[in-house]
Amino acid sequence: MKKMSAVMLISMLLMSLAVAQEVPKEYGKPLTVKKPTKISEILANPQTHDGKRVLVEGPVVDVCPKRGCWIQIGSDKEFEMIQFKVEDGVIVFPMEAKGLKVRAEGIVSVTTLTREQLIEQARHQAEEQGKLDEFKPESIEGPKTVIRLNGEGAIITK
Amino acid sequence: MPKIRWRKWNNILHRDIGYLVVALTVAYCISGIAVNHINDWNPNYRITKEFISIPPIHAESRDEIVAQARASLRLEKEPRNAFRPDPSTLQLFFEDKTVSIDLPTGNVLIERATPRRVLFEMNQLHLNRPKKLWTYIADLYALALLVVSVTGLFVLKGKNGITGRGAWLTAIGFVIPIVYWIYYISF
Repeated sequence: MKKMSAVMLISMLLMSLAVAQEVPKEYGKPLTVKKPTKISEILANPQTHDGKRVLVEGPVVDVCPKRGCWIQIGSDKEFEMIQFKVEDGVIVFPMEAKGLKVRAEGIVSVTTLTREQLIEQARHQAEEQGKLDEFKPESIEGPKTVIRLNGEGAIITK
Repeated sequence: MPKIRWRKWNNILHRDIGYLVVALTVAYCISGIAVNHINDWNPNYRITKEFISIPPIHAESRDEIVAQARASLRLEKEPRNAFRPDPSTLQLFFEDKTVSIDLPTGNVLIERATPRRVLFEMNQLHLNRPKKLWTYIADLYALALLVVSVTGLFVLKGKNGITGRGAWLTAIGFVIPIVYWIYYISF
């Protein structure tokens, strides 16, 4: 029994080490774009960047708490951020990434969502963040142009 | 020609590979149930929220706002980063918490996300987050599980074996997913 307990304890310790967070940490495909584009520039002129591959830099200001399937990257200008969305399970961002710096590469996507789509999206996000009780669909206005990056690779550093 | 004692070898394989896969099967089962209900809870992190109040902050520059907030909250440690998602909010990011301050009211939300001990690690392995070498270990585990399930069919002979009761139970195991799939694509 003692031997069994020791084996289980060592296994758990090894497991923890195996998935420990190291920084810098690479996610997804290696970055190929050398010159970063300012997030403020993408947000100011979305149509000229739509469909283009870009590299952006900034702080991670929010992380999908359940699936790690998106991060919000703070812009170089105040009050602005951009969502970096990745395919579920392909890249999983940890919540510990909040506040760290990220270099992220992806394709700019500019879409116009109807009010109904925006409500559905907001409801989903509120559900993920456990804030469904604060969700107020009547406060959502639309249609609205949504700019995000369909993410392919990222490096998170201190 | 000597008689091949295939059942003996079948049972040895079933027993020994069975021992090998116990740990991962238990881990994957627990993680499977946990992740299956991801819409109802967060299987990876325990998120705690604390609400406190500080005096409203009316400073102009970002540096001043951060300094005032840190002084009011007695946060001696330098934050990793500070961010203002909108003119009335300041977020301070620390290794173990995120502090969100509503500047005009002084309402503060302190959010801590702590990985759920052991379950977090199980989920990471189950969802193959480490990738690289773990992909091949997981493949080997799947093959081992296949061997255990197939050899399991032939462990017993007689009325409780695959030619008797075992056949019915195995058939039920096939029927459940097939019937559900037909129902799923029909409605």
